[in-house]
Amino acid sequence: MAEYQLIIIGGGLSGLAAGIRAARFGCKTLILEQHTIAGGLNSYYFRRGFLLETGLHAMTNYAPARDRRAPLNRLFRQLKLSRRAFVTHQQIGSEIAFPDQCLSFSNDFTELEEGVAAAFPAAVDRFAELVRRIDDYDPFAPAPWRSTRRFLATVLAEPLLEDMLLLPLMVYGNAEEHDMDLAQFVIMFRAVFQDGFFRPHGTIRDFLDMLVAQYRRFDGEIRFRSPVASIIRSRDRVAGVVLADGREITADAVLSTIGIPGTARLSGWDLDPVAHTGRMSFMETICLVPARRMQELRNDRSIIFYSQRPEFAYRRPRDLLDVSWGVICFPGNFEGLEPADPVQIRVTNAANHALWQCLEGDDYRRAKEEWAAKSLAAAGKIIGNYPQDIVYQDSFTPLTIERFTAKAEGAVYGSPRKIRDGRTPWPNLFIAGTDQGYLGIVGAMLSGVTIVNQHLL
Amino acid sequence: MTRDEIKDMILEIIEDIDEEAEFDQLDPDEPLRDQLDLDSMDFLDIVMELRKRYKLQIPEEEYPQLATLTSCVNYLEPRLKDV
Repeated sequence: MAEYQLIIIGGGLSGLAAGIRAARFGCKTLILEQHTIAGGLNSYYFRRGFLLETGLHAMTNYAPARDRRAPLNRLFRQLKLSRRAFVTHQQIGSEIAFPDQCLSFSNDFTELEEGVAAAFPAAVDRFAELVRRIDDYDPFAPAPWRSTRRFLATVLAEPLLEDMLLLPLMVYGNAEEHDMDLAQFVIMFRAVFQDGFFRPHGTIRDFLDMLVAQYRRFDGEIRFRSPVASIIRSRDRVAGVVLADGREITADAVLSTIGIPGTARLSGWDLDPVAHTGRMSFMETICLVPARRMQELRNDRSIIFYSQRPEFAYRRPRDLLDVSWGVICFPGNFEGLEPADPVQIRVTNAANHALWQCLEGDDYRRAKEEWAAKSLAAAGKIIGNYPQDIVYQDSFTPLTIERFTAKAEGAVYGSPRKIRDGRTPWPNLFIAGTDQGYLGIVGAMLSGVTIVNQHLL
Repeated sequence: MTRDEIKDMILEIIEDIDEEAEFDQLDPDEPLRDQLDLDSMDFLDIVMELRKRYKLQIPEEEYPQLATLTSCVNYLEPRLKDV
């Protein structure tokens, strides 16, 4: 008999959600996490006494507790977590800033509709038609890949508005370059524009602690510092895993949340790693600015999506970084939060993993400093120049992401080709998380829940 | 278990699954899903909870017999008579 009914590789959000779901119904489950703490991409670290978050800017899919069918609330029911006890802080408002146009949006969708009407009066009816089409679309029905770009060119026929709408949706959840699958576009449009942004009360650490506690309450086991070296194959099935220290652990089924390339490497799954490795990675620079200096900066938004060019190019940049477009996030600017000092500002730009990988030692460190400065200068054009007396500044690159999250080439949204049903060539090895295809924090967790419901309960 | 005990147990499971559930207006002969706005994921939870608590395996083709509160009781009564 196997030691566990289910081994989950990866203690990120999809792995934790899958673990809670399995353990809740008595499945003897073990989560193996390579890192010393949970969270994967959405985790945290400490510098100079400050807790700094990775990944999380905001959660999407905001919904009040009474809205039973909302993804967020379904997720909470599935994990047997109390939605009522979960305190949320909605965004104060965000914007998409292009050279000659600006669109504001909040968790009240009419704000975006009114903004579109004011900025693109000729496109009002076409935007309303787009929203109708999105409302009628079932993104979860199995369907072949369909071009969002072509769809928008037909329905919206307004290239600038198309690019403005795509910037937040792509940067928060698109693994492909330039274009995206229409189903993914619909999911993201609902998640970002129709539902909207919020933050959980506290930090991502509190959120992760809640999930780990819930998992343990159902007798789930989690081991940290436990990287998996390989998945044991036994004839046409898998039989467990071998840890990096050589120990074997047997299981009736294995669920991998480390992406398609990583899962292929561990299992000997013969597929094209290049086609399943995403090209979109990012560098993020976190600054802590003294609160008294914030009057010199624009500080009236939760998140600003900016582009210095009228055309938005979502692709791996030719340089180490592309600062011509990006995201500026103020994690403190959500309703009902106590004013913080220092104030955190995070700026995110597309980065080229291959170029970062060529750098070593001092060259890497210098490049990081140089590009962080360029990134802040670009953000400064939108929010005002950063003061000199920043309390603390830190950046992570595609290499940092790859090292801590096991995402191949630091591609935060994983493979451009997803495996929606979570199946692999082995009947008892499944994948969940980023490369199953539901993205974002709520998406990743629903991915874990869905795959467990479909294949493992 | 008596019919009343089974009924209470079903409501308790639903309450446990959904903190928003309200039973004041519940008609025992009308579908639970419509009245309580349960989706297929919630419904699966009821089945899983019965399996966990009473080791009861309910095949998928018999799910329709759990549609209303009364039909749940009818279906479960013989299966839980020794509990």
